[in-house]
Amino acid sequence: MTMADLETAQIELDRASNTAELVRATKKICALRDPSAAPTLIKVLSYNNPAVAATATQGLIELGREIVPTLLISLNTGNYGARAWIVKVLAALRDPRGLDQLEHALGADIAPSVRRSAAKGLADLDLHGSTSSEELFRCCNGLFQACRDDEWIVRYAAVYGLERRLTSLALTSSMQDTGRSLLKQLASEQEDVKVVRLRAGLALQRLSIG
Amino acid sequence: MEPLNEQQILNNLRQQDDTSAQYYAAWWLGKMRSRHPDVLPLLIHTLSALDEQPVDPDRRGVALNAIRALGLLRNKSASNELIQLLQSDDYSVREEAARSLGCMNDPTAIEPICQRLSGGIETAGREQDGKALLREPCEALIEALGDIGLNSSVIRETILPFCQHPRPLVRAAACRSLLQLTGSSEWAEELKTLLEHPEPLVRRGALLDLGATGWAAALPAIKTAAVEASLKLVALRGLAESSHDTNVLDAMDDLL
Repeated sequence: MTMADLETAQIELDRASNTAELVRATKKICALRDPSAAPTLIKVLSYNNPAVAATATQGLIELGREIVPTLLISLNTGNYGARAWIVKVLAALRDPRGLDQLEHALGADIAPSVRRSAAKGLADLDLHGSTSSEELFRCCNGLFQACRDDEWIVRYAAVYGLERRLTSLALTSSMQDTGRSLLKQLASEQEDVKVVRLRAGLALQRLSIG
Repeated sequence: MEPLNEQQILNNLRQQDDTSAQYYAAWWLGKMRSRHPDVLPLLIHTLSALDEQPVDPDRRGVALNAIRALGLLRNKSASNELIQLLQSDDYSVREEAARSLGCMNDPTAIEPICQRLSGGIETAGREQDGKALLREPCEALIEALGDIGLNSSVIRETILPFCQHPRPLVRAAACRSLLQLTGSSEWAEELKTLLEHPEPLVRRGALLDLGATGWAAALPAIKTAAVEASLKLVALRGLAESSHDTNVLDAMDDLL
């Protein structure tokens, strides 16, 4: 791979004028597997074209955790669509450096799909090392909050997350209790949306809580 | 800024001077599924703006939101008002009324809906002169029949001609409703074909239609469709709620 490959691919991307050409050019950039292509792929996320963005997102995920700092800087964009995709990449990379941004997105982002991805990220972040128990508490607190979100899909993602996090032995018993009682609440008639009740019931069953 | 509480929202709907506050209030009450006793009379009251001559465009907007909210609240005591709106001259009013009646599952709406559709694709399903709209809001009317869910030969024969409509989304609506009413997989085939349509809008529509039918065998087709995850999750919700199949929930987890 040479610098010229990336430049050629970028020129092709700039010249693309329809979805098929954009996807093809984006795929070429992804195939370079070059972390210095990350800013270009991030730019593609703001084109408001789901097919192109999905391709770029996959490419960014494949670049791995090396690009996390670049992703964190680019979250300041005002483009909702792009932010949603970046949060998705951060969630998929499971890098604990994304925790601040995922917490912030879950609490403050107006787009339900962004809060959904953020909740998924808090469920899946790889936590080990000296600060991991504090990070685990933050993930759980974020998920507790997501259980009360107005949007059903965010509550659904929170249930998925609690199912994963409540198996951790590092949790305090009061956090265990909070998580279990939230799951019970979401499995009950207090929850309006049936699929959330079904998912919470499944989580309780898998965690062997009746 | 503090979010408004229910009482403030009700006051905003009650006052008459600020139509944008009314517009938001009508939306909010539906979205939050408000159970306050004042909600229904207040929402119904906004519909009177549709009888005025000429209709004030801002008050019409409030009324359209109120119609949607009435559907979300699913309180059948509003169904008479909505059924009357099926006779409106205003296409959007008929469309929203049909959608809300579908949400309410009220069988008394079936006959007036079938009347609007009678004549099939040559009349109800014909394009208005010089406009993109059909003469009737066919998709909304047909989908309401499927959602109400009462299966009879008259209803099936009313829907059947629309399976041949030149517009893919009208065909999708017809197949969706027939699949809901009969549970017969022959109607799923056209929907699965439309899931591969070159036009993203058609793929999205077919995906949501398949989800609405709750037809569990659609799971693999929905998983592989070239449509964004947010919409797939909505479609799979429909499947999960009617099939209770854990595989559907697992597929939803993968899409989060």
